[in-house]
Amino acid sequence: MNIKETLFALSSADGVGNIREASDLAYDLLKEYCKTEKSDTLTVIGYLKGESDYTLMLDAHIDQIAMIVTDIDDNGFLTVAKSGGIDIRALPSRRVTVHGKEKVAAVFCATPPHLSSGEKEYTDIADIKLDTALGAKAKEIISIGDYVTFSADPCELLGTRVSGRSFDDRAAVACLIEVAKRLKDKKLPLNVAFVLSDGEELGMRGIRPVAFKVDPNEAIAIDVSFGDGIGISEDECGKLGEGGMIGISPALDRKISQKLIKTAKDNNIPYQTEVMGERTGTNADMIAVSRQGVRTCTLSIPLRNMHTEVETLDIKDLDSVCELLCAYILSGGAMND
Amino acid sequence: MTELLKELCLLDGTSGDETAVRDFIISKIDGHCNYRTDNLGNIIAFKKGKKAAKRKIMVDAHMDEVGLIITNITKDGFLKFSTVGGIDTAALMFRKVKINGRINGVISGKPIHLIGDGERKKLPKTDSLYIDIGVATKDEAEKYVALGDRAVMCGDYTENGDNIISKAIDDRIGCAVLIKLLTTDCEYDFYGSFSVQEEIGLRGAKTAAFGIDPQSAVILEGTTAADIAGVAEENKVCKLGNGVAVSFMDRATVYDRKYYDAALNSGINCQPKAAVAGGNNSGVVHLSRQGVRTIALSVPCRYIHSASSVANKRDCENMLKLAEHMINGIASGEIP
Repeated sequence: MNIKETLFALSSADGVGNIREASDLAYDLLKEYCKTEKSDTLTVIGYLKGESDYTLMLDAHIDQIAMIVTDIDDNGFLTVAKSGGIDIRALPSRRVTVHGKEKVAAVFCATPPHLSSGEKEYTDIADIKLDTALGAKAKEIISIGDYVTFSADPCELLGTRVSGRSFDDRAAVACLIEVAKRLKDKKLPLNVAFVLSDGEELGMRGIRPVAFKVDPNEAIAIDVSFGDGIGISEDECGKLGEGGMIGISPALDRKISQKLIKTAKDNNIPYQTEVMGERTGTNADMIAVSRQGVRTCTLSIPLRNMHTEVETLDIKDLDSVCELLCAYILSGGAMND
Repeated sequence: MTELLKELCLLDGTSGDETAVRDFIISKIDGHCNYRTDNLGNIIAFKKGKKAAKRKIMVDAHMDEVGLIITNITKDGFLKFSTVGGIDTAALMFRKVKINGRINGVISGKPIHLIGDGERKKLPKTDSLYIDIGVATKDEAEKYVALGDRAVMCGDYTENGDNIISKAIDDRIGCAVLIKLLTTDCEYDFYGSFSVQEEIGLRGAKTAAFGIDPQSAVILEGTTAADIAGVAEENKVCKLGNGVAVSFMDRATVYDRKYYDAALNSGINCQPKAAVAGGNNSGVVHLSRQGVRTIALSVPCRYIHSASSVANKRDCENMLKLAEHMINGIASGEIP
């Protein structure tokens, strides 16, 4: 599979809580290229052995935003809570998948025009019921605590742009699998741990025990960041198609940022910088303060419509990120910086 | 019927751009009845029955669906659009669309992370939304899209038990029923019109009714059902599974009372459409020429004008039965 095919396959598989599709698929793909282990969470870790004791951890989270069923009424309408950040204004009339005993297509209720007077306020997702169209039978298939995910399939836009659900952060998962593929037979100056972590969307929880376990010398969190688009000012976003965004922040290791920039320049790999005034809002924030501290940086993929089912990115950026990570690893990371 | 309905729903046909739907319908009715296409694009069909009808009857369903029309292209290659027919902004946000039936696009917006607390609770204005087709410049976009091109919201067709989830049930269900009527042997002569441009103000049916010049009309529709959680009983209008919704009055028409009573007393599962809301082609048909006695039969439909409306299969079957009943009753004189 090329990287686009990997991304589409990972996007179509769901991964949150007890839904293991994406995690199991990523495991199957990654284990072709390196020693790989599953866990009792969604986390998957692959290891490529190098010629030193120095370990670089690359992290991409495998979990996705979702919703979770909190109530089922006798007519087949569900109440749900958010599991991650969701724009509830866009839910009415949206089709989603309920992961019950079987997968069920369901539609969020939309207020009919004759009942909508004036401007509606969207304050609580519990006010927008989810219609299973199953009536009383819903209770036989769906239980409280079942997950609900978006359901749009990935699709190709023009050129090298693509759109779909859970690109945050399957795009980065696809990159790590591609990096493992490209490096599997290479002599590496350092060990690489490919971490596909759980629980990022609920406050970067899943990475904490994993960072403790892997105990790396250095880490890069690969996630998505805001891509340019309508209504977004240029200073708060990256541009689609212009390369991975190398993080610079007081919470990150400046020498890794500099080494990533130098590597990109030396190898003519497109890149952009992303300067953040405080913490990064990614797993990097947690990794950096793991155990006695880990030198950490971020590398982000510009993405439009984040946390929707039409997350949009440029495949060229995934190629740039993979090339940069490979060159960076082969040059020894920040081991000597 | 559901196989036919599925094929119809998955066709794209925004108002004024009904060609795909028209071609499909013609392929189905060809050889079963006489038909012509009028100047606006309506299909006008005549079905010969075993007997002549005592009154000239027109049965109407509209082919068009709500959608989008491209009105401009920004320098960054985003497409600006207007809605064709009424679509709620919530239904458009972050929605996959198809342009000209072949180009994928997504309606793009600001991610929730970059929206302030005040803004988060209110819908943006529709004119702040743009379609992203994957290009970065206006020149590039113009190679693929021209102003005036159409887009529809993408929606799959799914059956959940007795219910259907799909785009465009309004009014491909009417088209499906009318195709069935025109392709099955019948007792009495009647006319059918598959009309254009209903969603932008009942335009096609006006010329179709003039062309047919009927004395009685049966309008087949999908109508708003509000039988959803949190809506008071008296505001539900009609309920899925409770049969065909029969209208007594809406914003455009006061319906023929005798036809209304006859439908409710038919013994076929049906319910009153319990609200004076909305409107349909009856609005122009009943006022055509010297006036036409008109009835509207509708399949109750949740989340109408979205990519995922929900309707009940039995209601669809019952609409076919009730339409036959009304045609036969009016044509024979049994319904006075």
